[in-house]
Amino acid sequence: MIDSNTQVTSTLLYLDDVSVSFDGFKAINGLSLAIEPGEMRAIIGPNGAGKTTMMDIITGKTRPDTGDVLFEGQMDLTQHDETEIAQAGIGRKFQKPTVFESQTVRENLELALSGNRGVWASLFYRESEADAARIEEILQTVRLQQRANELASDLSHGQKQWLEIGMLLAQDPKLLLVDEPVAGMTDAETVETAKLLREISKTHSVIVVEHDMGFIRDLDVKVTVLAEGSVLAEGSLDHVSAHPDVIESYLGR
Amino acid sequence: MISAFLFRGLAGRIAWVAAFIALLGILVPLSNLMLPSDHALYVPDYIVSLFGKYLTYALLAMALDLVWGYCGILSLGHGAFFALGGYAMGMYLMRQIGSRGVYGDPILPDFMVFLNWKELPWYWYGFDQFWFAAIMVLAIPGLLAFVFGWFAFRSRVTGVYLSIITQAMTYALLLAFFRNDMGFGGNNGLTDFKDILGYTLQNPATRAGLFAAAAFALSLALVISSAIVRSKFGKVLLATRDAESRARFLGYRVEHVKLFVFTLSAMMAGIAGALYVPLVGIINPGEFAPANSIEVVIWAAVGGRGTLIGPIIGAITVNLGKSWFTAQFPEYWLFVLGGLFVAVTVFMPKGMLGTLSSFSDKVKSLKPAPKPSQTEAGEMRKEGEAS
Amino acid sequence: MTVLRALLVCLVTLLASYSTIPAAMADDLKDAINALAEGSLKDREAKVDALLETGDDTVVPVLTYLAEGDLYFRKSDKQVFLADKTGRTFSLTDPISGDVIPDISKRDIKKVRVNNNLRRQIRDGLSLFALNSRDSAKRLAAAETIYKAQDASALPAIEARLAKEQDAQVIAFLQEARAGLTLTSDAPEEAKLSAIEILRDKGGRQALSILNEAAETSEGAVKDAASRAIVAIERMLAIWNGVQNIWYGLSLGSVLLLASIGLAITFGVMGVINMAHGEMVMLGAYTTFAVQQAVQTAAPGLIDYSLLFAIPAAFLVAGAIGFVLERGIIRFLYGRPLETLLATWGVSLILQQAVRTIFGPTNQEVSNPGWMSGAVELAGLSLTWNRIWIFFFALAMFGLLFALLKRTPMGLQMRAVTQNRNMASSLGVKTPWVDAFTFALGSGIAGIAGVALSQIGNVSPNLGQSYIIDSFMVVVFGGVGNLWGTLIGALTLGVANKFLEPFAGAVLGKILVLVFIILFIQKRPRGLFALKGRAVE
Repeated sequence: MIDSNTQVTSTLLYLDDVSVSFDGFKAINGLSLAIEPGEMRAIIGPNGAGKTTMMDIITGKTRPDTGDVLFEGQMDLTQHDETEIAQAGIGRKFQKPTVFESQTVRENLELALSGNRGVWASLFYRESEADAARIEEILQTVRLQQRANELASDLSHGQKQWLEIGMLLAQDPKLLLVDEPVAGMTDAETVETAKLLREISKTHSVIVVEHDMGFIRDLDVKVTVLAEGSVLAEGSLDHVSAHPDVIESYLGR
Repeated sequence: MISAFLFRGLAGRIAWVAAFIALLGILVPLSNLMLPSDHALYVPDYIVSLFGKYLTYALLAMALDLVWGYCGILSLGHGAFFALGGYAMGMYLMRQIGSRGVYGDPILPDFMVFLNWKELPWYWYGFDQFWFAAIMVLAIPGLLAFVFGWFAFRSRVTGVYLSIITQAMTYALLLAFFRNDMGFGGNNGLTDFKDILGYTLQNPATRAGLFAAAAFALSLALVISSAIVRSKFGKVLLATRDAESRARFLGYRVEHVKLFVFTLSAMMAGIAGALYVPLVGIINPGEFAPANSIEVVIWAAVGGRGTLIGPIIGAITVNLGKSWFTAQFPEYWLFVLGGLFVAVTVFMPKGMLGTLSSFSDKVKSLKPAPKPSQTEAGEMRKEGEAS
Repeated sequence: MTVLRALLVCLVTLLASYSTIPAAMADDLKDAINALAEGSLKDREAKVDALLETGDDTVVPVLTYLAEGDLYFRKSDKQVFLADKTGRTFSLTDPISGDVIPDISKRDIKKVRVNNNLRRQIRDGLSLFALNSRDSAKRLAAAETIYKAQDASALPAIEARLAKEQDAQVIAFLQEARAGLTLTSDAPEEAKLSAIEILRDKGGRQALSILNEAAETSEGAVKDAASRAIVAIERMLAIWNGVQNIWYGLSLGSVLLLASIGLAITFGVMGVINMAHGEMVMLGAYTTFAVQQAVQTAAPGLIDYSLLFAIPAAFLVAGAIGFVLERGIIRFLYGRPLETLLATWGVSLILQQAVRTIFGPTNQEVSNPGWMSGAVELAGLSLTWNRIWIFFFALAMFGLLFALLKRTPMGLQMRAVTQNRNMASSLGVKTPWVDAFTFALGSGIAGIAGVALSQIGNVSPNLGQSYIIDSFMVVVFGGVGNLWGTLIGALTLGVANKFLEPFAGAVLGKILVLVFIILFIQKRPRGLFALKGRAVE
């Protein structure tokens, strides 16, 4: 529990005693969490632990019943919608890779590229050299230069995941929420993805939700364990996997 | 900036089609007015009127395509915007009759005299001026679309729910315009027009002029629409259509995107209606019928949605078929139209143009390095699929 | 004048039923009637009086015919008959037995002469006579007519009858009639005050207009009492008006429920947008028509029960077409709701045109069976039987469907498939067949709705079109996938519509309801009884 003001303001994302229920079912129950600037955090937990709902709350898709959600110490995320939160600098990758399938890889990145999102601005937008260079750079980062002009629907599952991460990078958010980035990936791809995320975390704060323990181990970051909508344990992976409650509710299942 | 923007619209086959339509707008009236009636290239008066009407339908279908094909908003109420534009023009034409009406009242249209009205209602003021009516042709449908869209998109009404409430909207307007005390001629609507801008409507030259106006309007609207869908905004439109919440999480104000394109499209539909009314000489509440709006959808679907050109071809093809069938086998037309709905949705979801281009893509893909057409519509996906 | 004519008509019609008259009395009556054939016009007055005094209904037509100059006697035996000219000859009706003798030549009979004096005597006499009828129901009807007419000339007759009357209901009516007349006459104040009291207790529009008139023309205590009575009556009327509106609203709501309940399955449970739903209703109505025609030719005796045959027939016809529609078209379009909407709209055009080709474009008449026609009066409300039947029929259909979905294995499978298709499929549920049968069920129910709707409206190829938008509104308003929502939605919209009508008129009321729903959907896109949480998205 964080109680001093200075700490609150230096925290990038701060959830305090957040609860939400759907038709009586408590999806999130008194959840508290703090992410520091530049931190990469892994979140694990069994199905129904409330991981996706937590992301929904942070990105403004779901309104919590009670509790505070603060971004950069001042922006009350419960009072804003998805668009405003995205514009404030929180990017999100969905569990199921969601890219614009009828457009090319390059167009996907162009859409994600940071800049004025208004109607007029996009009507009269002309690609600057800086923008083009940035897209090239991201294509390289997510290893999709060869497929830049192909439709996103033609990509493999793993490539779609990468494209989505690339879109997050193009968006240049302060905080990235990454939901199950390696689901359905081959082992080689998983290793590559871990490398990619570590690279990204050098310049961004990241929250990764994942089931894959090997992947979490590769990331080598602080882990938060969720169960039944609240935090069960927090610490290094070794620390939490030794925690008796975690063993019972997660591994022992 | 604007010219650069429009120039972008003039790319690819759309430039050719727009130029072709504009050329028709010059050549057809010329042929009709200059050539002797026994000349091989002479276009008879009734063809000018009939195809002028088709061109306004084509504009309506293209306007619908902009919201449906590119943004995934299936409006079943576009006939309402068309009819409102038509009514605005009809009110101007009504005022132009002046004292030549049956009752000879210099101000009041005949139906108001008949209803024993003593004064012109306030909302008829200004319609004796063409410029005012022309503004209203854009403003009224635009305003309705804006208000309706503002509510609907902000509350995230999507998919079939949106379709059904657009249908309810046009249905409510249908009921309203049937009422005599609305002051729009009730059941009979507005008719018996005499002239427009001082030119007699019965005169073939006026009709040729209206044909030209319809062709130019369609051509211009095509170029503008093409410029829009080729801009980054066009990509945002597709993004909204294909994965609305993804676009939202990227920071796009999806409701503004939809509102802009919906309002613009409604204005185009209003222009189509305004050109339609002087060509056919009447506007009545029947134009608000939900069945009319849904028929526009099938024009767009037959031609190929998400292509802009497809709906133009579809509108003209289907209406040619309708004219022919209703003359030859009137009782079979609804079977054909109904069958068309089923056949297009089940067997040809991309329409004529889409099917054609994916066929040509297949042929091309036998050779290496194809680049699939971007304007083609992808599969419609269920709303809110991302979670 | 008007009172008397009304009474005459009333009584003549009541005479359709001949009461059995004891033989001896019948003989006396016969003699008295036949006596009309003889003597001078002067003598005839006495004879008419004698007939009136019998108080027997039989004399009403005799005197009516006499006044009209249609009473004849047979030259051969001087017997008096009611004569109706049919073509060149006359048909004679025996006033006592009611036997009809057709084809009598003009030469064989002679008219019983009548003059204006006699006519006046008959008219006045019949007015009294009606009140003096032996049948208390007829006396009641007469008293009611007098009350409604408010004709001062009837006052002596009322007083005379009040002196003898035993039946409490008739007395009440007569007193009310008298009160009305007293109030408009120059009677003393006390009489007027008690009259006002009687009228206040009576209530209704008639009493209100009498009291209004009294309040305007009188002064002092009478005026005050009348004004108070007016307020009291108006309050009662407002309440009854409200009750009436609620009933009309519930009745409209039950029609909406019938029309949308099938849609609640195809759209609400399966998520299929079936724009041809209205045509399923239309097919049900045409099936009713066809069944009625068939019963009429095959077994005319059963015509009153043709609706009972029509219900399963309509279910089968609409259900079968729904089955074919699902297997033939809709199953290729699952997951593409907008395409489904368009394809089914096409189907609706085809079905409409098919019916137009087969049955013609004009309205078809489906007659109401005896047990569904007429109305029942309930404390100032007039409820028609067909509306009452439809109301309960709609509720019964709802209950049946609800039980089917919640209590039967078939319903369980349907719900399973709609909730998790893959899981249901791997548990061995034949999902394609469940889809097809669910859709057929929804369509079949629409067909049954058509049977009911054929009883209250025109049966035309456009029947379905007039219901489709309303039905969608109901389902969307109530909340998709929630049967209760459909029930509440239908009844709410029905009542709202009827309550708006008096203020806004029928068309504007409907527009307002549409606008309301459009706004409502903006506020709660998932309807009244929406599911919450991640599951729905």
